[in-house]
Amino acid sequence: MTHVRGYIAVFGALLALTLVTVGVSYLQLPVASTVALGLSIAAIKATLVVLFFMHLKGERPMIFWPLALTVFLFAALFAFVFWTEADHIVGPPL
Amino acid sequence: MTSIPYTTDVRPDTGLTNPKLGIWLFLASEVMLFGSLFSAYALLRSGAPSWPDQSAIVSVPLATLNTVILISSSVTMVLAWAALTAKRVDRYRIFMGLTLLLGAAFLVVKAIEYSDKLALGLVPATNNFLGLYFTLTGLHALHVVGGLVVNAYLLGPGARMWKSEPERFTNRVEVAGIYWHFVDVVWIFLFPVLYLL
Repeated sequence: MTHVRGYIAVFGALLALTLVTVGVSYLQLPVASTVALGLSIAAIKATLVVLFFMHLKGERPMIFWPLALTVFLFAALFAFVFWTEADHIVGPPL
Repeated sequence: MTSIPYTTDVRPDTGLTNPKLGIWLFLASEVMLFGSLFSAYALLRSGAPSWPDQSAIVSVPLATLNTVILISSSVTMVLAWAALTAKRVDRYRIFMGLTLLLGAAFLVVKAIEYSDKLALGLVPATNNFLGLYFTLTGLHALHVVGGLVVNAYLLGPGARMWKSEPERFTNRVEVAGIYWHFVDVVWIFLFPVLYLL
């Protein structure tokens, strides 16, 4: 029964963060700030789902090795994009 | 007939049941599948001399509604599993039924979104954003369909296993739930990236 209450609490947090995500998009902030905020909130929501709904919290170490490799490869995908497009994102080299 | 090993007992060398390790390895491959498309979005958007105002093309209210629907379905899915651990199969049927309804509602809203775009002549070939929008949301919707098929089986004929092997059936529902929550996680990132940024 206790973990059912926990699931409901996570549900409430996810709904609240969804409203925050939509609210932030209407603030007319600079694009970089909107992107950073939007993706940060999404990352918090995803972490809540993965830890509590997918039961990764308290899971055995064997699960984490393939996931760590996945995170590394996922980061590498985006690293190549930013490497390629660095001049567009941060301006041309001096 | 030889039974599949380690569906309920923990395998000594991994410390996990085989279905649990299997679903996480599958999801690792799924992360890379969606990651390739997300990185394609980042590459095309950052390299484009101009980019359309996304929120003027797509419907933020419909996407917000779909976000609430999918998050709700994640909760009902985990509550279905929790009901089985409490040996309340009656509650399991209710929560799994709700999960199916919410998943179907997500697809209906998505179909409304698509038909609105197509009626305006907005197709994947219109611009890079719409190409990415249809590819990413279409692939995600296919994953929702796949999850619905599995969940419908677990609510219908697959539920017979509860009488013969309740622990194995509970593990099946947990593994199906881990997949369903992953589909929710993908949408959690698609929502701001395609609709709000």
